[in-house]
Amino acid sequence: MAEPLLALKEVGHSFGGLSVLRSVTFDVPEGGIIGLIGPNGSGKTTLFNIVTGYIRPLAGTVTYRGAVLGRDTIQQRGLQGLVRTFQTPQVFEQMTVLENVMVGCTKLTRTTMLQDLLRTPAARGQMREIRDRAEAACERFHLTALRDLPAASLTAGQRRILEIARAVAGEPRLLLLDEPSSGLNVQEIDDLRDWIVRLNQEGITILLVSHDMGLMTVARTVHTLYFGEIIASGDMAAIQRDPRVREVYLGV
Amino acid sequence: MNPRTLLWLATGLVVWAVLPFIVPRYMADLLVFTGIYTVAGLGIGLLLGHCGIVNLAQATFYGLGAYASAYCTVMMGLPSVVGFLVGAVISMALAYVIGRPILRLTGYFLALGTLALSAIASALFFEWDWLTGGTLGIGGIPKLDLFGFLLDRPSRYYFFVWIVAFACMAVARNLVDSRTGLMLRAMRDSSTAAAALSVDLQALRTRVFVVCALFGSLAGSLFAHHASFVSTQSFTVDRSISFLLIPVIGGATSIPGIVVGALFVTFLPELLSKLGDIHQILFGLALVAVVVLMPEGLVGAFGKLRTRLAKRGSGHG
Repeated sequence: MAEPLLALKEVGHSFGGLSVLRSVTFDVPEGGIIGLIGPNGSGKTTLFNIVTGYIRPLAGTVTYRGAVLGRDTIQQRGLQGLVRTFQTPQVFEQMTVLENVMVGCTKLTRTTMLQDLLRTPAARGQMREIRDRAEAACERFHLTALRDLPAASLTAGQRRILEIARAVAGEPRLLLLDEPSSGLNVQEIDDLRDWIVRLNQEGITILLVSHDMGLMTVARTVHTLYFGEIIASGDMAAIQRDPRVREVYLGV
Repeated sequence: MNPRTLLWLATGLVVWAVLPFIVPRYMADLLVFTGIYTVAGLGIGLLLGHCGIVNLAQATFYGLGAYASAYCTVMMGLPSVVGFLVGAVISMALAYVIGRPILRLTGYFLALGTLALSAIASALFFEWDWLTGGTLGIGGIPKLDLFGFLLDRPSRYYFFVWIVAFACMAVARNLVDSRTGLMLRAMRDSSTAAAALSVDLQALRTRVFVVCALFGSLAGSLFAHHASFVSTQSFTVDRSISFLLIPVIGGATSIPGIVVGALFVTFLPELLSKLGDIHQILFGLALVAVVVLMPEGLVGAFGKLRTRLAKRGSGHG
């Protein structure tokens, strides 16, 4: 069997004695869409924070492309192609839509402070590349009409798309989406689902956290997290039939 | 460039060129100080407007530049360019060494950290009189000599200082427009999201702090060669505060705003002092008025006014 892109092994974490994750083990195969569902407080966002380096787990290991992510910083993980979005979209409010996307492209280029201060030809070249990539991404995500507006003026749905466009512009290998459908209307959720499928077809592996059962049907495998433990795994149809999941979600 | 901008630019250039010859000597002197303060204020503006960092330590680097120039030229008899370089190197090294630990702090704590740095430096300038001359200071700093052309009058030094200031403004503009500038603003708006996009917050903050110190030191060396005399009074915490006021008043994200802020802190106290003892209170009131009524600084307020007038104009047309 091929090596998974991301593997969590017996990951555990607690906050001040309160255990939030207990021995969580699952794989994210390259090219897959893996879903993670669970009620509020089940540990989904903590798990995301551990994978992306915002929190160091107290137990277990996270392996990415065959190497254990130990003390790697958030930035180093990002450079390796691990990019996330946030439960509440984090756009750079005072910057324009285009500039937001440009920030997502900065990691694909390299300049030194001195080159930037002196505006050397190399620095200008890199900046041109950043702009070209960002413009292409805006075009793709239908943000061109909004590109010169400050991000603060966008609606919740537009912010979600901007956040995804910004993440994708940096050419991620594994995209982690945290509750991407919250705050969106039905039409926007449909569009979001299309985007997830399309990006996946282009080769981006996706780890999706949500408690939106409808959106979750895009995932090939879904893990159900309940009080820090995985209580069920399988495709969405199987999950919905699972008696423990039904008990947790529906109280039956 | 459209003809109107060109016209404005040409007019500005002419005014700039004739200004030191038509104003009284004391005003030419103030204009030199405006240039010096613009250089120091640019660094503070980059930190405040583009990184969201309040730096209350600029008088430290201003002092280092001034003392380096004074010591190298007066005590050691070295050419003035050595003083500029020594000041710059020491300031940048200090900013790097001190910046790495204190830039881990954020918000008020960071501001207090830089304030402490300024207080310590100001005490050391006073205590280390073998180096700084203490309260007696170091006098007799030579005027700058540019290829045989002695910059011994405010009207002459004015041109040199302002050319340096314009060069610094160009460098600051480059930084703002660059890849680094993008990452700085991202970090200011949301450090969490910037980190997720692989922006190295710590390294960037330290580097901009070092650039800020370089501007501070450069301004200090310019000051030493203008005043011919440096002493501890010029590098106190008060001076750090007035440097911070420059971007706050002018508009922290705007580079021309720094010039406006520098004009404000050099000219207004001087003009108000003609009104007698009340001038400090009036300066304080003017300051509060700008900060409260124009949170984006004078340049930001002017921009808003123009947009409003333009809207009204088009509404009637």
